[in-house]
Amino acid sequence: MSRRHIRNILLKEWVLLFTDPNSALVIVLVPFLVVGQAILYIWLAFRFAGESMLTTQVFQIALQKLVAAVPGVAQLPGNEQLLVLLLSQFTFFLLLIPTMIAMTVSTFSIVDEKLSGSLEALLATPVKTWELLLGKALAGAIPALVMTWISAGVLLLVISAMGWGDVSGFVVTPGWFLTLFLLTPAIAILSFMMGVTGSSRARDPRGAQNTALLIIFPVLALIGIQVTGIVWFTPTLILLLALVIGIADFVSLRAAVRLFRRESIVVQWR
Amino acid sequence: MAIIETFDLSRNFGKTIAVEDLTLTVEAGEILGFLGPNGAGKTTTIRMLAGMIAPTKGYAIVADHRTDRDVEQLHEVIGILTETPGFYSRLSAKRNLEYFAGFYSSIQSPSEQVEKYLKLVRLWERCNDRVGTFSKGMKHRLALVRALLHEPKVLFLDEPTAGLDPEAATEVREMIRRLGKEGHTIFLSTHNLNEAEMLCHRIAVLHTRLLALDTPDLLRRRFFRRQIIVQLETSETKVTDVAKGLPFVQEVREEGNQLILELTDSERNRPELVKAIVEAGGRVITVSEKQYPLEEVYLRLIREEEGNES
Repeated sequence: MSRRHIRNILLKEWVLLFTDPNSALVIVLVPFLVVGQAILYIWLAFRFAGESMLTTQVFQIALQKLVAAVPGVAQLPGNEQLLVLLLSQFTFFLLLIPTMIAMTVSTFSIVDEKLSGSLEALLATPVKTWELLLGKALAGAIPALVMTWISAGVLLLVISAMGWGDVSGFVVTPGWFLTLFLLTPAIAILSFMMGVTGSSRARDPRGAQNTALLIIFPVLALIGIQVTGIVWFTPTLILLLALVIGIADFVSLRAAVRLFRRESIVVQWR
Repeated sequence: MAIIETFDLSRNFGKTIAVEDLTLTVEAGEILGFLGPNGAGKTTTIRMLAGMIAPTKGYAIVADHRTDRDVEQLHEVIGILTETPGFYSRLSAKRNLEYFAGFYSSIQSPSEQVEKYLKLVRLWERCNDRVGTFSKGMKHRLALVRALLHEPKVLFLDEPTAGLDPEAATEVREMIRRLGKEGHTIFLSTHNLNEAEMLCHRIAVLHTRLLALDTPDLLRRRFFRRQIIVQLETSETKVTDVAKGLPFVQEVREEGNQLILELTDSERNRPELVKAIVEAGGRVITVSEKQYPLEEVYLRLIREEEGNES
């Protein structure tokens, strides 16, 4: 029965999502902006700063860790080492896509239903709280995830189109696959769970938006850690991180169910 | 057979008592009118009975399910029409209903069930239109359909005609009447006393506590004695005197061409009364029972309660 309920929620949410021009625009535009911006930064750095960037302490530390993780990079010329470094860091930049989509889409998912009164009618059906929250989180996380994968594909095409194809073997590593297919789904679900939880607790759309801002900070921290070379995320580390976030997904669902106050919603939102 | 039973059902919100020690029974197939002023606890009671909020004291059993424990099973067998219709305005009527139908295990084919009920309320022609384009009356009918889709044993209707124009309200009432005839148990919360009288077998008056629960006629008798009105062609003192002399007449008064009488047994004594009046030369046009509006009963109950409180 749960699968039928969750599927029911997913299909309805998707119809609503893709018939709303604002939401559809966010889902399409965010990946375009993230990928476009990252490529622009890399191109600018590569074109104008070049190898000189590697002389800075931050990049030296990061490069050392990259070489330790992918020894073949040491054999490349300086400018290509810089390119591999920047492109490797870009993989984590992709994590911004599900997080930013979650910020805009999931935060309104419950508040909107409270305002329209449909939530009270929904809570009078046999739907369980966890089914409702998971359905709503997945309804946003799945398209966001698909867009992230499409963005990764676009990135590979751009690398090839810009004549950087030679270095792609150093970028598309097991760590790259683990990031895309394990870490990104885990982070996508966590972001949407947090967004839906914030939305269920918020009294109005503004409150939901404020809560949503919190979602992006952990991802920014991850990107910062990678860029500054404080920690270089090897496949083992990515696997471990994905596992931790996977556990966090489960914990966040349980927390979301506990925080979802059916009574308050029914009584306060009329 | 009782399908709704409440036992000292109470609910507080902080220090505010919304419902206090509500004990009542509703039989299967009965339409119970639930009356009370704003803030009397009607909606809170419905929400407790529908398992949407828990009681702070006491409990209720609806269709064999404890409302505070077996919530999901309870929701399979009850339908609720909330005050706000609450639909997804960008989805069509059909898609909205199919979505809600998709949560009930008893509905094998949501689309067939939706078609059946949309035709019943004459909305099938608009089934592919967005709900956002519907009038308030149409949304109410749609909400009623949503509450009925899984053919519930008990239907809770919270002010189903509030804010509707007379035509739409009549349509909704007709539908409730039809459902009642089909044997649905209906718990109808309303402010409209005529509506309650038209549709309900029994009426409960709530003002935090249950003030009364009975048929409309018995509620009237609680405050007003039965009175017979004899409409005469012309008023004549002789006729009045004859009526006063009858042993079963307890009280007589004249109002224009009408005689208003209280009888020992208003059913049995009526033929003898008419006979005596006719023999005394009175020309009887009609004989009827004085009908006190339910509103007077309701207002007396509420004022008595408010008097007790102060």
